[in-house]
Amino acid sequence: MISLQTIAKPSPIHFRPKKPFKRPPKTLTPIHSLLQYNRKPQLSGETPRVVVITSGKGGVGKTTTTANIGLSLARLGFSAVAIDADVGLRNLDLLLGLENRVNYTVVEVLNGDCRLDQALVRDKRWSNFELLCISKPRSKLPLGFGGKALIWLVEALKNREEGAPDFILIDCPAGIDAGFITAITPANEAVLVTTPDITSLRDADRVTGLLECDGIRDIKMIVNRVRTDMIKGEDMMSVLDVQEMLGLPLLGVIPEDTEVIRSTNRGYPLVLNKPPALAGLAFEQAAWRLVEQDSMKAVMMEEEPKKRGFFSFFGG
Amino acid sequence: MASIWTLHVGATSFLPVRSLSDGHQSRSEFGLDSKFSNCSNWNRRAAYRTLVVKALDSDGGDRPLQNDVVVVRKLEEDNVKKPQQNIVAKLPETIGSLPVFVYSTGKLSGTNLAIGLCIVATMLVIVVRGYATRKSSENRAGSVADLVRRGQVRSDRRGISTPLKYEDPFNNPMVKVSKSNSTVEMCGKVYRLAPVVLTDELQTVHQKRRSRAYQWKRPTIFLKEGESVPPDVDPDTVRWIPANHPFATTSSDIDEDLAQNNVRQKHGVPFRIKAEHEALQKKLEALQNDQKLSKLVIDPGAARDFERPMKSNNLKSETQVDQSTSNPAISDQVSKPPPEETINP
Repeated sequence: MISLQTIAKPSPIHFRPKKPFKRPPKTLTPIHSLLQYNRKPQLSGETPRVVVITSGKGGVGKTTTTANIGLSLARLGFSAVAIDADVGLRNLDLLLGLENRVNYTVVEVLNGDCRLDQALVRDKRWSNFELLCISKPRSKLPLGFGGKALIWLVEALKNREEGAPDFILIDCPAGIDAGFITAITPANEAVLVTTPDITSLRDADRVTGLLECDGIRDIKMIVNRVRTDMIKGEDMMSVLDVQEMLGLPLLGVIPEDTEVIRSTNRGYPLVLNKPPALAGLAFEQAAWRLVEQDSMKAVMMEEEPKKRGFFSFFGG
Repeated sequence: MASIWTLHVGATSFLPVRSLSDGHQSRSEFGLDSKFSNCSNWNRRAAYRTLVVKALDSDGGDRPLQNDVVVVRKLEEDNVKKPQQNIVAKLPETIGSLPVFVYSTGKLSGTNLAIGLCIVATMLVIVVRGYATRKSSENRAGSVADLVRRGQVRSDRRGISTPLKYEDPFNNPMVKVSKSNSTVEMCGKVYRLAPVVLTDELQTVHQKRRSRAYQWKRPTIFLKEGESVPPDVDPDTVRWIPANHPFATTSSDIDEDLAQNNVRQKHGVPFRIKAEHEALQKKLEALQNDQKLSKLVIDPGAARDFERPMKSNNLKSETQVDQSTSNPAISDQVSKPPPEETINP
């Protein structure tokens, strides 16, 4: 969750000395914020960056990750379009609280019932975030040009008048079926979401293999639903164990948090919570690293008892 | 005279001589310095004492009357009343006798007035400002708060997040990293940090392992089960879709180029809407032309299509009636119900 790396200096504050000949100009020491909240992340890579968020197994948090990272990117000042490519079981609109505003989908765009800009649902909270659903729950996606359709979509978004979005996040369906193949078609990089259990790990390894076969080399993983107390009791694999098994760089580690369920049910992504939840902070940091194409250099391992102060006896 | 005496006694009871002594007591009760009170009021106390003595001396001829029963009783009654009067009189007298108040009431009345005016003005300004802000907040039509008030926006889904402030260095208060970078405190919990040990070599080893384990080619063509593979297609790149797939189909009613154009369309009416509109327009025009050309010709076949089913039934019944009228014997058989005996032999 924390990236221990060289810290870019924030704009230093210079005090003008009273006697310049005697004293050199005094500089304040930069604030050592390891989370690098003291500056806007630098966007690296060619835009639009098309990122597919995938995992082999279902229920590991792909859609939650897409919603939270998408809105984090919007908060960081980047424009993002989230495409819900889960054709049969779309849920991203629910997580974002936009379910009542989805009137048109990609299927309607392909059929000529509407234009692409009419199918894009702009979030009112952060207007540089847009949602695009592939199809309505009961309609069927014509797979004759399923993958190609997404490539056309990316091209159309690139050439639109408002300017190309910085990020196109594709929420991939579970499994390695036709939906998966369609979703990964236009992607240049992938975020693999996994949980620290063996079923999820096996599927993640397989999916990583398929992505690599397809030519997607930039794959980073997010380990979701981590419980440090269980890791301490050796009931759960640690994040480092997961990394050892998959051999993928870490984009983020998301701790298990009850706030996730609450935010899902409210249709209000976790990263917008104030005060921030633990998982929300972790998602924000993952988004930060995604922007800079960075990976974690240190991970949170286990909970230590907090050191009590001298006056803690008195409630201090 | 007795009345005069009583008057004198009454006056003396309210005179500052007594009150001073009482005041002295009360001050000592309040914790004030006795030295202070004694020193400051010594002259005044002496003056009052001489005044009382003079007053008593003036009616010296009436002294024997003091031994009268009535006068004595009156004195006793007055003595009973004195403590009660003292309680009431104690506070203003005490305050009035305080040197600070004596000084301030004499010299600082103008300053007090100014201070009072300032306080009143401040209060007035606060009240007016509060009223103005309340008014302005109420009048801000179209704001999110206004939308929530009118029920157009749900209050629990309002934008409660504030944009991050960049170029404004701050540490996240929820996250504190120790000086040695070995622990981090997030949301009140301390976690130990461990460095990531994944190297590039390890990554390539894993990639090689996966490339050996998983041989895969992305399917480029989707075919329905039972369809024949086109001759120029690699069979490995074919993905077979079952006919009853829940959300995927291989058939589509539009061709690829048209779909691509639809995606690229930026302005104007979408293709399908336009096509439908044009088709309807053509149909309407065609209908209008037909009506113009064959105004007098009625196509009975077409007319029958537009007839309502009820009407056709009625027509049928009418024809039947006509037929029945022409053949009464049959109509009797049809219209009359058969006798019960024939039904139930």
